[in-house]
Amino acid sequence: MSDHYLDNEEKKVVIMMTSGPSTPHRCATPFFLGAILASMDAEVDLFLTMEAVKLAQRGVAENLAAMAGGKKIIEFMRDAKSAGVKLHLCLPALPGYEIDPNAEIIAEIDELSGGGVLADLVLSADRVLSF
Amino acid sequence: MECNGCEFRPELYYDDEFQIWVRREEDGSLTVGMTDISQTIAGKILNLRVRKPGTVRPAGKPVATIESGKWAGPIPNFFECTIIEGNRTVMEDPSLLNIEPYEAWVARVMPTEGAEVALSKLLIGDEAQRGYCERARREDIHCERNVR
Repeated sequence: MSDHYLDNEEKKVVIMMTSGPSTPHRCATPFFLGAILASMDAEVDLFLTMEAVKLAQRGVAENLAAMAGGKKIIEFMRDAKSAGVKLHLCLPALPGYEIDPNAEIIAEIDELSGGGVLADLVLSADRVLSF
Repeated sequence: MECNGCEFRPELYYDDEFQIWVRREEDGSLTVGMTDISQTIAGKILNLRVRKPGTVRPAGKPVATIESGKWAGPIPNFFECTIIEGNRTVMEDPSLLNIEPYEAWVARVMPTEGAEVALSKLLIGDEAQRGYCERARREDIHCERNVR
């Protein structure tokens, strides 16, 4: 990196995450990248949909790591939130994974959001990333 | 002095989570760095990027961004300030933050409302030491200084 100084404008970034517990090695990077982007002044919305909704089920992210013996996914989620990332959980995806939105969702989730919210986020974002 | 092996310097100012330290300079500027607790939590730091000199940073907007193998996030900021300079030596060799966090400062800033107002938002002395030690013990943080 030739210049270590940050001089970017504020951007709006949406991270759409579909990876879940069946591919644990894909579950840390989206939160890690979200934390970096947020700490560089980006407004970051991370939307958990498809299998990624299972990460929001109590007991899953707390016991899942991207690599054997590594940091738990819940810690990556908390780091992202501490940096300013907003975590959305796809409400319409929950029945397909038999997740009860009223009983089983971790406290780290900021919003239970429908598809329309994701559509609005995508259309208003400067960048959309998918994992 | 230390708690759980985490060095504490009573002459410095700290935020209430002990993420950063702040030192008052004679010209009214403030020097900002990472605490021993912060560098330990981050692990081996691989990248430090400071906001460009001349940039105004409102309270709540980070002064810098750091990245390690397992952690990424901001060097937080608690008062409005203008970036004077980043520590180029540390930006080029971020591992210095792990080796000597109280010498490897991150940035010098000029607080908009003056040093007195900025520092009034922070902790120093006995109060800071109590909080620092409480956090280290509560979260069972045992500080380590990485070698190259």
